[in-house]
Amino acid sequence: MFDEMYSEDAQIRQHYLQVNSWLRTMSSTVISQKNYEAESHFKRIGITFSVKDDDMSERIIPFDLIPRILTNYEWSKIEKGVIQRSKALNAFLYDIYNNGEIFKAGIIPEENILKKDSYDQSMINFSPPNKIYSPIVGVDLIRTGKDDFYVLEDNCRTPSGVSYMLENREIMMKMFPDLFHSNRVLRVDDYPTRLLQTLMSLAPKKCDSSVPTVVLLTPGHLNSAYYEHTFLSDQMGVEMVEAQDLFVENDFLYMKTVDGPKKIDVVYRRIDDDYLDPLAYNPNSVIGVPGITHVYKTGGVNICSAPGAGIADDKAVYIYVPEMIKFYLGETPILDNVQTWRCERDDDLKYVLENIDELVIKEVDGSGGHGMLIGPKSSKQEIEDFSSKLKLHPEGYIAQPTLDLSSSPTLINNEISGRRVDLRPFCLLGEKVQLCPGGLTRVALGKGSYVVNSSQGGGVKDTWVLAD
Amino acid sequence: MLSRTAENLYWISRYMERAETMARLLDVGYRMSLFPNPKGYHNEWDSVLSAAGASQGYFSKYNEINQDNVEDYLFFDEENPSSVYSCISKARNNALLVRTAFTPEAWVALNKSYKEMLEFKKGKFIRSDLPNFTEWTIQQVNMFRGSANSLLRNDGYHFIFLGTFIERADNSARLLDVKYFVLLPTADYIGGNLDNLQWIILLRSLSSFRAFRWAYEGDVTSSKIAHFFILNNDCSRSLSFCINNIVHHLNSLKCSPNKISDIYSGLKGVHETIKNETVESIIEYGLHEYVTNFVSKISYLDNQIQDQFFG
Repeated sequence: MFDEMYSEDAQIRQHYLQVNSWLRTMSSTVISQKNYEAESHFKRIGITFSVKDDDMSERIIPFDLIPRILTNYEWSKIEKGVIQRSKALNAFLYDIYNNGEIFKAGIIPEENILKKDSYDQSMINFSPPNKIYSPIVGVDLIRTGKDDFYVLEDNCRTPSGVSYMLENREIMMKMFPDLFHSNRVLRVDDYPTRLLQTLMSLAPKKCDSSVPTVVLLTPGHLNSAYYEHTFLSDQMGVEMVEAQDLFVENDFLYMKTVDGPKKIDVVYRRIDDDYLDPLAYNPNSVIGVPGITHVYKTGGVNICSAPGAGIADDKAVYIYVPEMIKFYLGETPILDNVQTWRCERDDDLKYVLENIDELVIKEVDGSGGHGMLIGPKSSKQEIEDFSSKLKLHPEGYIAQPTLDLSSSPTLINNEISGRRVDLRPFCLLGEKVQLCPGGLTRVALGKGSYVVNSSQGGGVKDTWVLAD
Repeated sequence: MLSRTAENLYWISRYMERAETMARLLDVGYRMSLFPNPKGYHNEWDSVLSAAGASQGYFSKYNEINQDNVEDYLFFDEENPSSVYSCISKARNNALLVRTAFTPEAWVALNKSYKEMLEFKKGKFIRSDLPNFTEWTIQQVNMFRGSANSLLRNDGYHFIFLGTFIERADNSARLLDVKYFVLLPTADYIGGNLDNLQWIILLRSLSSFRAFRWAYEGDVTSSKIAHFFILNNDCSRSLSFCINNIVHHLNSLKCSPNKISDIYSGLKGVHETIKNETVESIIEYGLHEYVTNFVSKISYLDNQIQDQFFG
């Protein structure tokens, strides 16, 4: 297992030296005091999330005081790799909704894509501004060795978690200002500005204003990421709207203001495709705007991300991303995929069933760590039950090796102990393509645990990228 | 500014103002219950309930007036839409919907109040806690108002303070209406302790007991009190002060000048005449009639704001 702080010969890595000596100076009383401070801060500002199947409780995600540090060298590889991947995913989306070159070239079987529910037939032959379908791509990375970063999954719809990246940094700077004097940490607080620039650069063709009007569309305060919606719109200085604030008239989208109707150019939507427009998608949606897709298709407004962009982060598409990068960009992938077996293939299924106790099996349509089996952590009975599900619907599953996620020093009961982490940086694609130097580090708080999801006991850390 | 945002801001401050009024009324009732009278103790809970506009709701739930029930009804009862609990919950939930129109400080102030309120509600209510609860409530409202001062001076700010002063104008006028008879000149003849106490109730429930002493020299008279609450622009709860602030915030709105002049025309009469009124002229017109007329003007104004800006 790769340790982020200690090298193989048990030495503190150069870039952790300062943080390590800072840690040694803190008594356990100070640590618990600071933990308490951080926790009450998060509670007061209301950075909470609601848990699936338990929608009444508001919880905060456990925050770990020890930052996860990346050197500039490590980051530059991640940066290039994530940007490369995000560009390829957008090129793929344009291609499958327009010319289908990748099918003609025989790289991906057409029927694998066109039959998917997440492939939006109504987007065929439509091209969004700048051909950007997914302006914010969250790429989940794991690390297994010094230079070994792998992509676990892509998030092309509305990746969340960026508010934690920003709030974790704020609380660290507030509580430990000295740390930021002794370490040159690249800033992340301009992310909202960059996001706004990105969205403004994607104004639709009928927009005649040099300052396009951007809004953030939220499903409402019951959504688990509501805090993030308020946070981002506040930081960008754009209205956070609900469907009830919007209406369509004469091929344009308007919001109801105290001044009368105001035209909207770009909608950063945080609601799912299915709920977007009751006239075009789910007719029962009450959080959607009737007619918004018509305005979109006629160039009156841009919707970010584009309807149908979700196909690009489908687990069945994931396996083709390295080939997409070669096909669309003519480049060698900088970040590799995790080896993946597709259970719908007979050979793969056979291998998976024979080695199930060593593999992680995931539902193709699952998310948030639900509906998965971690072979080495499961009982015989659990494995047997899962195997029969697998045999019944092999097309619904993929399998990956249990990866030895890197471990990062973490405070557990005021003692430092290694816990496994992943990393989600956020790539922005507009007129410019850029990656904010940081991201969301999630940490599996259970000893030896691999599950970093907040809904299953994961925590978060501040993520540092050093300037030099 | 979104219409929905403006509406939420307006109501947040109305609810917070109302929470303070409830707390002050409870405080008055509580104090009075500690003073003996010949028959036992003073009982002002009846007039507290009517000043709170809660008599109907209370009697649909309870058959008779009982201190514990009144306290619970006005402070904690979820079924009472104007209880301190309901007001703070609604203010906080409205704020949740418009967090982006708020500074983080203003949101934190409301969220913290709400969370503490939930803790109080969980605990067992003891009668001697009431002064702490009312004091706490007033602190929360002050914290909210203080944090609202850090807002951008845009329309949102003015909608917040329109809500504050419309609610306050309404609350002050209703309270005067419940107690108007103690301010009539004839009350001076009756004199005696009881009426003094009635004046003190009025002054305390409008948080002006000490302020009044500073504002007027000499004896306390009903005419001075009436002047203080209706016409004195130094008194932050007087009808005149409220109407001036309503007009100020209304005219400071940058949106829709046409709507604003429309709304103002309905208010112009009250705003201009109150400058030249005297206590004598109001008594001659009829104190009760004057206050009732004022309440109906404020309620008409509220309707207009809802129709023009939030519809």
